[in-house]
Amino acid sequence: MPEDLIEQEGETKAAQAAMAPLHPDQIKVLRIRAMLIAAPLVVAAFVLDLGPLRDTPVPAYAVPATVLLLGLAAVLALPARRYRRWGYGEGEDELAIRRGMWVRVRTIVPFGRVQHIDVAQGPIERRYGLATLILHTAGTRGAAVPLPGLDHGLAEAMRDRIRVKIRQELM
Amino acid sequence: MSEALSDARRLHPATLLVRWLRIVPQMLAGGIGLAATASEQGWSRFLIFAAVAMGVGGLFVLLSWWRFTYRVGAGEIVIEKGILQRQRRVIPFDRVQDIAIERRLLARLTGTAKVKIETGGAAKDEGSLDVIALADAQEMRDLVRRGGVAVVATREAVAVTEAEPVLFAMDIKRLLLSGLFGFSLIFLAAAGAAVQQLDQFGLVEWDDLITQERAQAARGMVNAQLVFLLAALVIGLGVVAGVVRTVARDFGFRLTRAEAGLRRKRGLFTLSEVVIPIRRTQVALIESGPVARWFGWYALSFQTLGADQKEGGVQVAAPFARMDEILPILAEAGFPAPPPRGEFHGVPRRALLRQASPLLLLAALAAGGAFLVDFRAGFAAAALLAASVYVVLRWRKHGHALDEVALFVSGGLLRRRLWVVPFEKAQTIRLARGPLQRGLGLASLLVDTAGASTMRSPEMVDLDGDEADALALRLLELFHRRRATVANRY
Repeated sequence: MPEDLIEQEGETKAAQAAMAPLHPDQIKVLRIRAMLIAAPLVVAAFVLDLGPLRDTPVPAYAVPATVLLLGLAAVLALPARRYRRWGYGEGEDELAIRRGMWVRVRTIVPFGRVQHIDVAQGPIERRYGLATLILHTAGTRGAAVPLPGLDHGLAEAMRDRIRVKIRQELM
Repeated sequence: MSEALSDARRLHPATLLVRWLRIVPQMLAGGIGLAATASEQGWSRFLIFAAVAMGVGGLFVLLSWWRFTYRVGAGEIVIEKGILQRQRRVIPFDRVQDIAIERRLLARLTGTAKVKIETGGAAKDEGSLDVIALADAQEMRDLVRRGGVAVVATREAVAVTEAEPVLFAMDIKRLLLSGLFGFSLIFLAAAGAAVQQLDQFGLVEWDDLITQERAQAARGMVNAQLVFLLAALVIGLGVVAGVVRTVARDFGFRLTRAEAGLRRKRGLFTLSEVVIPIRRTQVALIESGPVARWFGWYALSFQTLGADQKEGGVQVAAPFARMDEILPILAEAGFPAPPPRGEFHGVPRRALLRQASPLLLLAALAAGGAFLVDFRAGFAAAALLAASVYVVLRWRKHGHALDEVALFVSGGLLRRRLWVVPFEKAQTIRLARGPLQRGLGLASLLVDTAGASTMRSPEMVDLDGDEADALALRLLELFHRRRATVANRY
């Protein structure tokens, strides 16, 4: 497991327990996803600008330029920051996951509460050999707790480790 | 009993009539619209359509009744159904959490009952026999409860139910009193819906009914007296509606200690009987409205796993009771009594900066707008000011406490709620910090439980950040400790 710790801003000492980062390639995955969302929006803004917006007092190129800037920020700047917000710590009896840029959430899932575990892999993740580990519990707001950006082999190893612990809990 | 339950049998013949009465109006609903849009001759066409609908509906009901059979075999209940696509469902006895018996008015007139076999799975329609003879329903329930050992006399089993210790019951005086607090304006919604229906089917032409002259005349008649009278009428009807609704639902309310849980019987027209399995209860909730609390009345309910999803996984155990009646029920279900108010930890004062100051800021803006732009912005300013006062008052009521076995969370201003969350029932523990919370060093902590509502959860909002982190770790530790002790007990 990677041992480097991540600096925490805005959180207190107790919350700064050792947490492992996701695989660095996750930044690329996040970037490609952002691109897939931003590109159509930018194109739509340009079309809008050439078409209906020409008849309104909105200055030419104002709308597509804004959308382009926002899109560039989402693709170039945000993925790395979002990546840094993610982290996880695998304990003896529970998994702690940290996430969220705007609202920072830390979720603790005791292994004894895990109903079943998924290792999911989308097309972009597959290209980089990454996977998402999903812990399902019987809860409501924490019914499915995802942990993306894990090396596929690591995700499967974690799943197997957790599975053994669930079985022990049942006995 | 003429035949044993182990033979395959059909639902009670009364089902035919009940289902037919249910299905035909549905088929006709479309026809009414058809007839109304057509001219006068449409009515004769409608009669033909009605006859066809009744015939087709009858045939369909008969066929589905014929193809539906159930059987209580050795250790399992088998249900087979489907006109074309056949389905066979086997429910083993030891998977059955409860057999709920519900008797609507029509069922009671025909001596039948609807049986719901609950297994705690996610599907809402796991095993539903709608309807069978009441005696069969009771026999089936007793058979399943005894793990398949046939009972000779059904009456004996009924007597057992009657002999269960009563935990809570409501007499007619209490029932009527609770109805008075159940003030409800639901009839306004019902009236609105009725008006819309009339309009939709074209039975009333509003444009003809409300003309310019009539509207003018009505405007002339509006005065303070009339408004006062109307308000009194609405409030009076609201009280009556509350009483009627409460009496219909909670008539003969009885909570008894059954073998595996708490058995609840209630209902005036629809008699229902449900067992709240104690092992499946997750969270206890004591709540009270503003007026009822002043008189010392509270309601107790349990959040259960795989319970009737219609009620959002929450089962009422005592709808209108004194605190000293509620505590024994809590104890019976294995929940601790809440500690006194003084032991609750409140929320830091700076939480108000996050909760109230945005509202006050907007109020100031609106007040400025009232002077500079339009005086009506003043109403918005007043509303925002009231909202911030509400937030401040609510902040004072929000708190949490811990004892050896459970977490207690209190919240709500008008309708106050107190959650009892046993440590071992936690599913996940979730700490969240929004941008404002980070600036103020605050955090919200939620102990998620099975069957919890997303709308109303025992979330502890705006705790001190350090405290929240420590509390999360402590709750996790207590969770593991309690899980170990509870596991040893079984």
